[in-house]
Amino acid sequence: MKTLIKISWRNIWRNRSRTIVITTALVLGIMGGIFSAAMRLAAEEQQYEDTVANMISHIQVHHPEFIANPEAAFRIPDGHTVAGELSDRPDIRQVSARMVMDGMAASANMSTGVRIKGVDPRTEALTTGLEDLLVDGSYFSEDWRLPPVIIGQRLASELMVEVGSRIVLTFQDIHGEILSASFRIEGLFKVTSRRFEETTIYAGIDDINALTGDPVGITEIAIVIEDPDSYRAIAEDLRETYPHLEVRHWADLDPALHYALEVLDQLLIWLVGIIILGVSFGLLNTILMSILERVRELGVLLAIGMKRLKVFSMVVMETTMISLIGGLAGLGLSYVMIRILNVRGVHIPGAEGLEEFGFSPVLYPNVDLPFYFQIGLLVVVFAILASVYPAWKAIRLAPAEAVRAE
Amino acid sequence: MKTVIKTTNLSKVYTNTAVPVHALKNVDLSFQQGEFTAIVGPSGSGKTTFLNVIGGLDKPTEGHVIIDGTDIATMKESKLFDFRLRHIGFVFQAYNLIPVLTAMENVSFIMLLQKQPKKEMEQRAREMLEQVGLSDKLHARPSQLSGGQQQRVAVARALASKPDFVLADEPTANLDTESAFNLLDIMSRLNKEENITLIFSTHDQRVIDRARRVITLVDGAVDKDEQFDRN
Repeated sequence: MKTLIKISWRNIWRNRSRTIVITTALVLGIMGGIFSAAMRLAAEEQQYEDTVANMISHIQVHHPEFIANPEAAFRIPDGHTVAGELSDRPDIRQVSARMVMDGMAASANMSTGVRIKGVDPRTEALTTGLEDLLVDGSYFSEDWRLPPVIIGQRLASELMVEVGSRIVLTFQDIHGEILSASFRIEGLFKVTSRRFEETTIYAGIDDINALTGDPVGITEIAIVIEDPDSYRAIAEDLRETYPHLEVRHWADLDPALHYALEVLDQLLIWLVGIIILGVSFGLLNTILMSILERVRELGVLLAIGMKRLKVFSMVVMETTMISLIGGLAGLGLSYVMIRILNVRGVHIPGAEGLEEFGFSPVLYPNVDLPFYFQIGLLVVVFAILASVYPAWKAIRLAPAEAVRAE
Repeated sequence: MKTVIKTTNLSKVYTNTAVPVHALKNVDLSFQQGEFTAIVGPSGSGKTTFLNVIGGLDKPTEGHVIIDGTDIATMKESKLFDFRLRHIGFVFQAYNLIPVLTAMENVSFIMLLQKQPKKEMEQRAREMLEQVGLSDKLHARPSQLSGGQQQRVAVARALASKPDFVLADEPTANLDTESAFNLLDIMSRLNKEENITLIFSTHDQRVIDRARRVITLVDGAVDKDEQFDRN
């Protein structure tokens, strides 16, 4: 075995430049695969951070009519009871009961359509991390004469207002009557989604409900679950528990985002698959060439009595060695690359438009250690598979003819 | 004297050609221990086929090849590998050393496949390389040796494991006169000292002149079988 390893090792360095070329291809293939995966994971992480965690949450519950008509009239029956039941479930981490409705916001200069979210500041901070999203002002802590609101930074620009400015919100009460009230801007928040930041206003739920006419009314329950991957199952369970309510998970609420992630997933699988297949065929070609160049030598080995299984093992070993060198170098370099990019971030040129879908133009790629081993293992397995055909060719040689090959 | 190889009614027909080729026709020959035999004849006379068949590299169409009491003509391929490893040494026309191994490693290789103890193996390889005059080239790779030196390593490799007989297919064909004589001297000496049976196929008159037995094949059949006293 030791000699077999020695021969295999020396064989792979007989044509140094060819081995370096195929090893480089392996290294680049692995780096490409890991980079793609890291970017995909970064996009997913960022999407959870920015969109699901900071904006829409995993699951939302509404009155069925509310979807088409986001008004105070369509409140969740016994909303606080439902919210309390949801809070008690072990698979749900956090619940925010809100009074949400569409309306108009007007400053001295401009007016625009907005979604007004009456929230409990404490539970909202735990649900969407709203307090941490503030870029200016404070979080429902000032004692002003006018009720406070927190609005998106882009909305503030559009309305040409700032922290401390007064705005007028117009919306319908529970009877459908239109009413207007003045609010003071206490803080500005920033999220990745341009549309969300341009249209969202957070106010205290008590201030909103005092105006709408139902002191305990809620139109929306936002839910953060313990296991983000089980959103579908939990939503399904909630639909069965509350058949009279509309339960939607984040993929229903933001299908464009969900579709974009699905596409990314598919692209990643294809990309990694194509890279590994391409590299495997490159390796197969290299080993096949080296076999064809060594017909006479292999014939001699078979003639003097080296068993076919040993010749087969020698060829497989050569491929395995190349894949191990390329694999380890590729994994090492990928690790360094990902560490650096994770700190510096990767700016995606022209991706500003994706902010509409909740994507940040800057991603921070990251993969966990097991993934490196999985990719490494995949490469070695495919390399060994790629060596089977050349090894088979080698052992099918007729020694009497092979020893006389030119 | 002990009979090392005995062929009876040995025939080989190649049928994968447009017209079947009768490469060997009813060849009955015996080789005794320690013989130094040249198989001669024009191109296409069946020399190489004969060596391939008695070396277990090719199967005869008919007949028997009895080596050490065993008929290798009917032996399974898997057993033939082991048989060749333990009983037969090969020297090829184009040296055919393993290019990535040193002279020592090349000579040890067959003994290694035979799983001989490392110490004995190294001692024997060193001894054989000394015998072929290459004690200063133990760690040289084939690419660092001349053609003559490579063929001497090949001879050392073939003889190192003490096979029952050594088959050499035109071993001097690629060598200059001096190297060829040098090699023949070595092979002749080893043939006597180690009492190993040597069978050559050759066109080379220098080899024929050294052989104590010369078998001439014509069209796959034995035309002449002559003995010479070359002491």
